[in-house]
Amino acid sequence: MTPYQQIWTIARLELGRVFFSKRSFWVYILAIFPSIIFLGHALEAGLKKRNWSADRVTSAATLNQVQTGMTDDQVLALAGKPISDVTRKRRIRRDDEDPDAEKQPEVRRYVMYFDGKKRVDLRFEDGKLVARNTHELMNFEDDRRVYATMFQFFYLRLGIFFGCLGIFINLFRGEMLDRSLHFWFLAPVKREVLLLGKYLAGLIAASLIFGTGALLSFLAMALPHDPTEVAAFWQTIGPGHAFWYVAAAGLGCVGYGSVFLAAGLLLRNPILPAIVMLIWESINGFLPDVMQKLSVLHYLQSLCPVPVPLPNDMPAVLKMLLAPAAPSSIPVAVLGLLAVTALVLFAAMQSVKRLEINYGTE
Amino acid sequence: MAVYRRGYQRYDGPTTSHFARLMVMPRFSWERILGQRFVVILLVVSLFWPMLCAGFIYLSNHSELWQGFGGGIKKFLAINGNFFSIFMNVQSTFALILASVAGPGLIAPDLANNALPLYFSRPLTRWDYILSRMIVLLGILSLVTILPGMLLFGMQASIAGGDWFVHNWFLGTGIFIGFTLYIAMISLVAMASSAYVKWRVVAGALVLAFFFLLAGAAEMVNSIFRVDWASALNPTYAINAVWKGLLDVEIADDKPGAWECATVILGLSGGLLALLARKLRAVEVVK
Repeated sequence: MTPYQQIWTIARLELGRVFFSKRSFWVYILAIFPSIIFLGHALEAGLKKRNWSADRVTSAATLNQVQTGMTDDQVLALAGKPISDVTRKRRIRRDDEDPDAEKQPEVRRYVMYFDGKKRVDLRFEDGKLVARNTHELMNFEDDRRVYATMFQFFYLRLGIFFGCLGIFINLFRGEMLDRSLHFWFLAPVKREVLLLGKYLAGLIAASLIFGTGALLSFLAMALPHDPTEVAAFWQTIGPGHAFWYVAAAGLGCVGYGSVFLAAGLLLRNPILPAIVMLIWESINGFLPDVMQKLSVLHYLQSLCPVPVPLPNDMPAVLKMLLAPAAPSSIPVAVLGLLAVTALVLFAAMQSVKRLEINYGTE
Repeated sequence: MAVYRRGYQRYDGPTTSHFARLMVMPRFSWERILGQRFVVILLVVSLFWPMLCAGFIYLSNHSELWQGFGGGIKKFLAINGNFFSIFMNVQSTFALILASVAGPGLIAPDLANNALPLYFSRPLTRWDYILSRMIVLLGILSLVTILPGMLLFGMQASIAGGDWFVHNWFLGTGIFIGFTLYIAMISLVAMASSAYVKWRVVAGALVLAFFFLLAGAAEMVNSIFRVDWASALNPTYAINAVWKGLLDVEIADDKPGAWECATVILGLSGGLLALLARKLRAVEVVK
């Protein structure tokens, strides 16, 4: 048997364990969770539109007459019954000797109207209209931006990170805890071959699970929108976007997988590098340019087709400190990730060659 | 009595007090946990922020040091609920990391090595076992949360005088109750993870995943549905909101309030306790 055949045989044997173990259930949940939420959103938007359209539509022309400075009674008289009406009174705080506290309004009222396509949010303070915002019930461009944010902040940073942690640490450390690693070491294969076989199994499983999850959620995001708009999207940039999201998910598994496989081999408690890596990836945007490039996330974000805007509610000080590095070009991002992975796997191979099993200390 | 007639007899001699029995496990566990180098490093690192806060309190109470900096500085240096809320936020991160390192080793080895029958054959109920394991974490985590928090409050009260204390005593109780609630919550998460996966290493990852994934999922629901109520499902936000309620700090109107968040935390804790009660049994049927 050639080493390649051996690698494939080991990967095949491991694949069943990775795909069908009890713990993989949580990885599946992680991967399909965004799809479920996007489907829920589609359902919710459909129901809302049906309910609001039934009896509470206010014409756009009427809503255009609503101006800042009008009283709530005037607005209600003009536009009729809203779809939502919430009033909140200011709490009297213990430290209200603060002179600024008196400037705060006593009563805030939030009123919403629906014109058949858009929702109009009105905010009254002490009976006067101070803010008016309009939202489309379903906005494809908005949803694509939300998807991009979800993909970068939830899927890459958390979903794939913890999913790979679960899958790849299990490959060696899990066997040690189960006291079954010596069976693999008794087989007539080189340990490097064993490591590559196990890595391949983890990689196939993780990429398939998270790649499918990314694609499903992308489809679920597009599902409830206007079919003409969606068709136009699929004929132009849609397939490219879908491809790069799936590719980023797959490459995320390549990068994080190699790191966690090596951590499982090199350290008795792989949680410590996981914590360090989680913190490193979280503070990535605040680091200098050169250091940002020493993270898996930087390369993965470079592959994402839609840039993510900064959150509106981010404190000004943090916004000031945040300085995301310019994204790397696609070849650099892909090659950079693969080079880092090769380096980490090489270190893991050196470690597995020297590995001595001592189950007693686990 | 003939030897063959000596069957099992329950011990009916004198026993130690209930409290002494509860403290047996913490005594041994504290020694073991504090022997870990990483825990000690973390404990030391987690003291930097309280020291900075102590410096801030000193500066705030010595107006002669910042005379001529304009009116805005007085507001910036005010020691109020906001100050303690920020302090608690930072310290809670250290507490979480500490819980993910120290917590999983409490129950997982007992389950993995079938040691529970040995515990439960002694005068120790399941709830005693859970409580004594929680005491272990309470002891360790209070070193980075309650203790520095109360010291800072005491420092401010002693420098600012009795009048400040009379008007701000609720900050002290807020810090104490808030941190106690937080410790109870993360201890339950750590113990439930430990009992659920039985592997110390995986349990540690699960503790982190619990907090980070729920936070991410809550934000995701908020942004996809364009709502704010899902923040209550984020344990970190929920406990922060409860702290703000206790410290009388304003919460944004459109976000879930302290009571809603307290209800979510209670529900979550109930679920975790139920999981623990299900997993911690003296006898386990292996199919």
